[in-house]
Amino acid sequence: MDLGLLGRVHLFPVRHHSPRSSAVLAAFLAQVRPSAVLIEGPDDAERLIAPLVDAETRPPVAILGYRTDGPPASSLWPFAAYSPEYVAARWGVEHGAAVAFIDIPVSRCLGTHGDPGPASERGEHGEHGEHGGEDIEEEELVAEAGPPEPAGPDDGRLDVHEACARARGFRSFEEFWEASFEAPAYDVASFRAALLAYADLVRAADRSPLHRARDAYMARAILARIAAGRAPEEIVVVVGAAHAAAFASGDVDLDLIERLPEPVQSEATLIPFSFPRLAEQLGYGAGNRAPQFYQRAHDAGCDYKRATLEVLVEFTEHLRLRGFMASLADTIEAYRLAMSLTALRGKAEPGLDEVREATVATLCRGDATHVDGFLWPSVIGRNVGRVSARIGKNSLQAEFWREIEARRLPRTDSLEPFSLKLNEPVQVATSVFLHRLHVAGVPYAAFVGKQLGTRSGRGRAAPAEEAGGIDALTRVTEAWEAQWTPSTDIALIERIVLGNTLEEVTARVLADRLETARTTEQAADVLLDAVVTGARETVGPALAACDRLAAADDDLPSLAHAASLLSGLVSFRTSRALSSLGDDAIPALCQKTFDRAVLRVRDACTCDDEAMAPVDRGPKRALRRLHDLALAQPLVDKGAWFAAAAALAHSYVVNPTASGLAAGLLYLAQILSDDEIALLVGQRLSDTLEPARAAAFVAGFFEVNALALVKSRPVVAALDAFLGGIDTARFRDALPVLRRAFGGLGPTERRYLLENVLGARRIGAKAKAAQAVLREKDKDALKAMSADLSKAMDDLDDLL
Amino acid sequence: MPEIRKPAETRYQAELEALALADDAAHTARPPGWRLSPRAVEAYILGSDAPVSGVEITPKYIGDRAIVQVAIATLASDRALMLVGEPGTAKSWLSEHLAAAISGNSALIVQGTAGTSEEHLKYGWNYALLLAEGPSPRALVPSPVLRAMREGKLARFEEITRTAAEIQDSLISILSEKQIVVPELNEVVSAQRGFNIIGTANTRDRGVNEMSAALKRRFNFVTVPVVEDLEQEIRIVTRREAELRTEYQVGVEAPAELAKLLVTLFQELRAGLTKDGKTKVKPPNAVLSTAEAISVLFNSGILAQQFGSGKVTPEEVSRSLVGAVAKESGEDLAVVREYCETVAKTRGGLWKEFYGAAKAKLS
Repeated sequence: MDLGLLGRVHLFPVRHHSPRSSAVLAAFLAQVRPSAVLIEGPDDAERLIAPLVDAETRPPVAILGYRTDGPPASSLWPFAAYSPEYVAARWGVEHGAAVAFIDIPVSRCLGTHGDPGPASERGEHGEHGEHGGEDIEEEELVAEAGPPEPAGPDDGRLDVHEACARARGFRSFEEFWEASFEAPAYDVASFRAALLAYADLVRAADRSPLHRARDAYMARAILARIAAGRAPEEIVVVVGAAHAAAFASGDVDLDLIERLPEPVQSEATLIPFSFPRLAEQLGYGAGNRAPQFYQRAHDAGCDYKRATLEVLVEFTEHLRLRGFMASLADTIEAYRLAMSLTALRGKAEPGLDEVREATVATLCRGDATHVDGFLWPSVIGRNVGRVSARIGKNSLQAEFWREIEARRLPRTDSLEPFSLKLNEPVQVATSVFLHRLHVAGVPYAAFVGKQLGTRSGRGRAAPAEEAGGIDALTRVTEAWEAQWTPSTDIALIERIVLGNTLEEVTARVLADRLETARTTEQAADVLLDAVVTGARETVGPALAACDRLAAADDDLPSLAHAASLLSGLVSFRTSRALSSLGDDAIPALCQKTFDRAVLRVRDACTCDDEAMAPVDRGPKRALRRLHDLALAQPLVDKGAWFAAAAALAHSYVVNPTASGLAAGLLYLAQILSDDEIALLVGQRLSDTLEPARAAAFVAGFFEVNALALVKSRPVVAALDAFLGGIDTARFRDALPVLRRAFGGLGPTERRYLLENVLGARRIGAKAKAAQAVLREKDKDALKAMSADLSKAMDDLDDLL
Repeated sequence: MPEIRKPAETRYQAELEALALADDAAHTARPPGWRLSPRAVEAYILGSDAPVSGVEITPKYIGDRAIVQVAIATLASDRALMLVGEPGTAKSWLSEHLAAAISGNSALIVQGTAGTSEEHLKYGWNYALLLAEGPSPRALVPSPVLRAMREGKLARFEEITRTAAEIQDSLISILSEKQIVVPELNEVVSAQRGFNIIGTANTRDRGVNEMSAALKRRFNFVTVPVVEDLEQEIRIVTRREAELRTEYQVGVEAPAELAKLLVTLFQELRAGLTKDGKTKVKPPNAVLSTAEAISVLFNSGILAQQFGSGKVTPEEVSRSLVGAVAKESGEDLAVVREYCETVAKTRGGLWKEFYGAAKAKLS
């Protein structure tokens, strides 16, 4: 093939999302009137060109390429209205020219992912693969190509652009680009020359083999058109600037095509995209920082002054709506200041940096927080694209959008909170729908708690409040925050391999989880999720799995967790319309699991302090759960638990904290009487030879309900005697545990404790006087101590 | 006796003249009443890489170029410029140099205090002449603002938020009408082109006399940031300290490593976090600004020269430091002590020496 022919086609270098590139390209096309327009885009997605330029399609949209075999993976090629590729495709179709994509196909693109990291499946990284666009960058290369360098945008390659920008005295590549390529009112020839010159400069600095292989692939596609009889002069090629520079200089090695990754099975479709997502990617090829701003400029025919004015007017209104003072005079001044800055910096038209700085100085009175809070979202925009009905939605997408419509759920790319009342059947169904999305792993709605506004700050629900779990059964209201993002549709498309309806997908996900479940707890969690998502056919297998796993499960916390989940199901099943599940399986299983758990109590509590320490998991949590269950659930064998707990309380083999905890629980439940508890505590605390164990008992005991315990005079008397009786040398060993035990007491508990100590020692009357003495003495003592202490520290320093 | 401190336009006369010459040579347009073109003003403030008309232009303000550009662009408009920021972030310094570069006169200053009266802002009278001759132009004592209006220059109004509300109010009409009426003489003084006002206000004083919305609207605001970049602040501190030594002709230069130690300490205390992000530090109440760091370093140099070995050591720095942080409350001393114990002690080199010296001073 004659590479020389490449020089004869009309090469048009672009940046993928750039109003100026689009405007100049439109003029160029009108001037050349080509019979074929070849665009950098995956050539196996060519059938999507028609729906892309369809009148019903409203950018931003994106071509989504996804794997149909093996691990889920996908990549995106976004288009905004001001993307030159979109402009070229529209022009070609409207003027009857042949329009084609010429870049490497989706199938090979995804092949480069090899074993995609977790990030790429959501399209997060895949998104960088814009437009195939690497242009100058290898950015996409990295992204499309690359698992080895998953970080994408900010690695080395960007540095070339950034370095270029810095060398010219700009603060960022984006500012450099705006000032050098967007703002000047180029004619066709000078724009091509300027961009090619820049591309050549950057190209020399770094180009990956994949990038060069794509050059070759596209070159071959162009040459094939010429060989088929199309005159090179009738062809316009719209590609990223670096590719164009490679073609122009003939620096193409066709042998590199062999080195492209092997294709994988894949499909491509068109999905709606959004400005916030477009703004998430930076870099030459990937995106830009303010889609709405550029959209305005594009709509005004590349008039950045007009775009600036529109942004300022909108921002002024926004400030007023929020109750800030913002007058028209301020807007005028902001505009004027932006213009002066533009002139001072020698730019042709204002860019985002001028808008931002002028706004801070005028409308915001020097305070940048409003700008970053309100102005930035308004230049980024919230636009969500629309895809022509000609492009079929898959059944999951169709179901999703049907439900969203019918249930009036949020459909924009901004976070919207709402709450559901679970006593209405319709809203329960909505809740089931959202829980299904959650379980299926489709990012859309996040559960935020029982009520709106109860959380402090934003962010995910506190760990204790999860969407599923036993709490899901007891709620009467649910608060959610929903936000549609392109990732939602991507996930829906990817999940189609798991089933044709959301219910099927959920059932499949739960079945997979059940298969991999190794503990009773995991199986019980699946059971719960099956209930809140109405996945009826999963409930049976989940119950069976619980039973099977519980038989061999030696893990007390897991069993206790499962038992309490099951008990919850027994108590609340009517609120979730579970009548179809109704048989005796759940109560029976609940009893069984409880019994199994009780049998393992002793073994589980024979452990070291480290295993015992955590309050929110491990044996402590399990003991409390079982105790709560025994008291609340009439089905279970209360007696067995009390017997097991009593054995714990009296055992000197198990961890003393567990003994203390069990004793505390029994005392609270009035299974142990005051006398018995005093005796028990007395016995435990008589062990002054090993005070650490006794102290651990006290710590466990206090954890239950310190107030009830310190109010009991016999208990306090035993404590007092114990503390008074510890040998001084041993006291030090016990000190850390004691501190932990007493440190948790609040002021009220401390008062009762003190009163009872005074009562026990019968020194109530003298207490006041003693207190004063104590205080005084303490001060002196403390002073003396602190002097000692600092001296000791100094000695230590000298030694060191 | 020589003056302690000469105004900027005198100190940097050569630079200003060179820039004006370059403007003339290039026929650069200047806003009416300006001595220099906006770009030349920018070059004067931020310094230039290459000498201009054979004169090296030193940087006066080290920091964000965008801030300076916004300030200059504002002064060329009908809005006044308000520099706001924490104490010691070089607001007045920047204002002085802007006035020197644009008007060639940085001395038309109103110092805002609780006692600032309308006379300071508009005009007063020479009462002997007033009694002898009645109201006459000779008996009128013009305020710096009035003089700036007549001559088409920049007036500087320091610490606006310290003045009473009625003074701030009278500033509003001056800024919007650009004229002062003298009813006694039946005369109206209108501002010549080139007149504008640079105000400064301290964000720590917010609420002392909060500016009214009407007054705010007459200003464009530029927030002068606290320097967060270590190298940048070291450059500022050493450069300014060297200038002070030349001006006052006392003190000796501190070793670079010691200056770095001092600035690191200031930045870490200010941020409440060590540079490596590993240790939390309690920040003191006193303002530990760049200006404070400069004065601590300068002071250390004097101590070393007059009372020490002639070389600045951690000993001198810790002595000066105590004076700088103990301003607002004794608690701050405890804060610094804690910093020494938790941070300084764990580091090697000069820090060890500093820890030893500071420990004795602080306890």
